[in-house]
Amino acid sequence: MPVALVTGAAGALGTAIARRLTGDGHQVALNDRPGRDVSALAAELGGVAAPADVSDPAAVEAMVGDVERQTGGYIGILVAGAARLTVAPFAEHDLDDWWRIIDVNLGGTFACAQAVLPGMVERGGGRMVLISSEWGLIGWPDATAYCASKAGVIALTKSLGRELGPLGIAVNAVAPGAVDTPLLEVDAAAAGVSVARIRSQYVGRTPLGRIASPEEVAESVAFLADARLPTLLGQVLHVNGGTTRARA
Amino acid sequence: MRERVALVTGAASGIGAAMVRELAGRGWTTAGLDLAPAEDAHHSVGVDVADPAQVSASIRRIERELGPIEAALCAAGHYALVPVSDIDWGEWRRMLRVHLGGVVNVCKAVAPGMVVRGEGSIVAVTSDLAIGGGHAEAHYAAAKGAVIGLVRSLAVELAPAGVRVNGLAPGPTDTPLLSANSPWRRPSYVQTLPAGRLTAPEEVALAAAFLVEDATFCTGEILSPNAGAVI
Repeated sequence: MPVALVTGAAGALGTAIARRLTGDGHQVALNDRPGRDVSALAAELGGVAAPADVSDPAAVEAMVGDVERQTGGYIGILVAGAARLTVAPFAEHDLDDWWRIIDVNLGGTFACAQAVLPGMVERGGGRMVLISSEWGLIGWPDATAYCASKAGVIALTKSLGRELGPLGIAVNAVAPGAVDTPLLEVDAAAAGVSVARIRSQYVGRTPLGRIASPEEVAESVAFLADARLPTLLGQVLHVNGGTTRARA
Repeated sequence: MRERVALVTGAASGIGAAMVRELAGRGWTTAGLDLAPAEDAHHSVGVDVADPAQVSASIRRIERELGPIEAALCAAGHYALVPVSDIDWGEWRRMLRVHLGGVVNVCKAVAPGMVVRGEGSIVAVTSDLAIGGGHAEAHYAAAKGAVIGLVRSLAVELAPAGVRVNGLAPGPTDTPLLSANSPWRRPSYVQTLPAGRLTAPEEVALAAAFLVEDATFCTGEILSPNAGAVI
């Protein structure tokens, strides 16, 4: 079984994905930025820790080499979920922070895809699951950079789906809606309300009447990572309880 | 414990037959509706899905004999390549009655029970042609597009009851629906697909099983195992 590299693995969603892929029999390499320690989780799951700032292409390349040395395997699955979310009114958003979000969420996804590509090409196949967001499809106030980055991930998925499909590499995306993770605190603080209040607002606009658990988003990632689906490529799977209903 | 019952239309061949095999392999009891005998299904009923009375009567009987239907998968369909000016009213009507009517008839029969039980999953097979359009298959694309509208609407309507409704939009799939001389089988076309080959019915069935069993937060979603035909 090839190694599965999961970026943003210290977060609630990344952790759930890492557990799910481990359950499927994959050895996992867990990436997060230095300072967000994933070594305990790696030890628990029998995987390896792969710290790196994904917005630094040289660091990403070194990290991929390090994973391949540590595991003796190659990365056949990439789950690119490392993301930064800060919110601010557009006119007031600090430009450096604005670009930092793009560099991590979109640039980091690009860097990871580029770094694992030679190994996948050499082995004649692989699967990439890029984590987008419902907000990348519908937009959201005070989250212009995040939404732009996640919309960019969708376009990247579609382009790489076309470009890498002939090489046997299937690139797809998962676009979750509201997920029950500590990231809700960022949304709540931005809206100036409690986490309970923001949760009930999200529940209220979701046809299924609840928000997602990290585990059910991880289930969708595992589905798109399934090697038995070579003709599923270039697609965006919306896991949002029916908020967008397959729009684009 | 009662076994989980799945209803599959178009179960005698192609995608429907693959769905039956996939779900049976996962422990489901399968009931197949088709004009032809569904040999892989545990229970096969000869039915024209375009006929509401036949569909509701057969579903009532299946639920009486096997138990409540927890998953309904609508794969029944036919396909024809006809330039728009040559599509006569009979062909147009038949295309809509089978594809759109087939889903409507099944949903009318199974949804009320699912709503009462507070669980259930409906999967309708639509097509990449409903999203990207196609040449000389306007009636097929229109019928499949209407199925997408129905899926999105039922998804909203049934979500509060915990019933999920999703669609599958396969690309050209290697089934009897594509004749041996179909332009969709020509190497010159197939090589334009990013995956470089037709979709296998088993892959569509895997996607269907995912929607039924694992996609617990997906409703109104259209999943496209299409070899990259529409991205």
